[in-house]
Amino acid sequence: MKKWITILLTAAMVLSLAACGNSGADKDSGADASSGADSSDDSSGSDMEYVKGKGKLVIGITDFEPMDYKADGDEWIGFDADMAKAFAESLGVEAEFVEIDWDNKIMELDGKTIDCVWNGMTLTSEVTSSMECSNAYCNNAQVVIVPSDVADKYQDKDSLSDLTFAVEAGSAGEEAVENLELEFTSVKAQADALMEVAAGTSDAAVIDSLMAAAMVGEGTGYADLTYTCGLNDEEYGVGFRKGSDLAKALNDFFASSYEDGSMLECAEKYGVQAAVIEQ
Amino acid sequence: MGQIMEQMPIVVDALNVGFLQTLKLFFVTLIGAFPLGLVIAFGSMSRFRPLSYLSKFVVWIIRGTPLMIQLLIIYYFPGLVLHNPIWGGGEAGRFLAASVSFILNYACYFSEIYRGGIQGVPVGQEEAGLVLGMTRSQIFFKITLLQMIKRIVPPMSNEIITLVKDTSLARIIALQEIIWAGQAFMKGSHGISGAIWPLFFTAVYYLIFNGILTMLLGRLERKLDYFR
Repeated sequence: MKKWITILLTAAMVLSLAACGNSGADKDSGADASSGADSSDDSSGSDMEYVKGKGKLVIGITDFEPMDYKADGDEWIGFDADMAKAFAESLGVEAEFVEIDWDNKIMELDGKTIDCVWNGMTLTSEVTSSMECSNAYCNNAQVVIVPSDVADKYQDKDSLSDLTFAVEAGSAGEEAVENLELEFTSVKAQADALMEVAAGTSDAAVIDSLMAAAMVGEGTGYADLTYTCGLNDEEYGVGFRKGSDLAKALNDFFASSYEDGSMLECAEKYGVQAAVIEQ
Repeated sequence: MGQIMEQMPIVVDALNVGFLQTLKLFFVTLIGAFPLGLVIAFGSMSRFRPLSYLSKFVVWIIRGTPLMIQLLIIYYFPGLVLHNPIWGGGEAGRFLAASVSFILNYACYFSEIYRGGIQGVPVGQEEAGLVLGMTRSQIFFKITLLQMIKRIVPPMSNEIITLVKDTSLARIIALQEIIWAGQAFMKGSHGISGAIWPLFFTAVYYLIFNGILTMLLGRLERKLDYFR
């Protein structure tokens, strides 16, 4: 008798766990129905309403000086962060910054855990095909990083053929070395690519120039590295969910803030005014 | 070297914040997985076939797939497929999703260790209990349980120490644990950029914490030594 009670109790526990799962699923499907309605509206342009309904714009970023970073305290600042705050304000919502794993940015967007990617993102074909992108707002270039003592030998594209490269997987730098048919290894982040060069496991790296300016050379953690030639020019943009109407809203916002000078003023604060693109 | 000394206080501050997340995830996982593992163990030992098959099926799925994939599925699946991001984008949601994944994963491993521990207690003891007129639950709690605990301490210690290091997998859904905090300095964070050493320095935290755990678990093992 007691045996059966034990078994029943165990079964009840397991079933109640399953029931938790079910009720969760029920809730999901309930919410799903409503968000399904949302998403059907999405095509007719209600991503903006979704964000306004939540009362906040969740911005996916990584720690990336001078675009999104923390100087002192807890607040995110930088050219991108300040512009994002201003944009959120123009929508009448709060800006919430969330650090994400850069590899998962598209999943984060589609899964609605973030509403946009605003972090000095190069508009590569991968990005433009999977996100609704704003107009380009900032220029950038991909540059070659080598140890300073051999830098003289590698000042132009033709000299690079005997080097092995480390590049960030899926980055514009990877695209560049692929096009030049150079030998390369893909690593997880631009910072990892630099470490490869510092550790001697790769001869050179390709990262973007804004980052190179901040991270290599005299007075940085990579004092023995330097950057030489640029490989290709590129542009930064902001990514939203595919089909989102927020991209257009941001384009309008960029245009008006470029016109009234607030965009350049913000850029000057972080020393990137030379790179800003006219809207 | 001088530069490292200068950066040390800033780095240690940031790593402490990250390690706090690591510890939180570690303890939450243990608190959740200890009892859930027992439930699953009873499930797989049940004489009620559908229940034991169900438990074994769950254990097969969870042990048979990488924890990293489980983290990705549990965090992104609700938003991507069900169009309802139940976890939200904030830090608290990421932590919750990571906790659920870790608890499920570790409960399955624990359940198999429990099962081994329970089935390792000689059947004669259970029979003796029955002869004395004890009920099944009395036999389990008064005879089997403590002996089982003694038997499972070494394999459980193994899992617990692995768990400390596995928490670093949670960075895949951007939970900012200590490896994340250390890596941030390579790119630039808190005004330090291009510093590689903080990432390697995180190993010191793991080593010290695991040292303490090993000591405590060793002490527990000796305490339970009077069972033979």
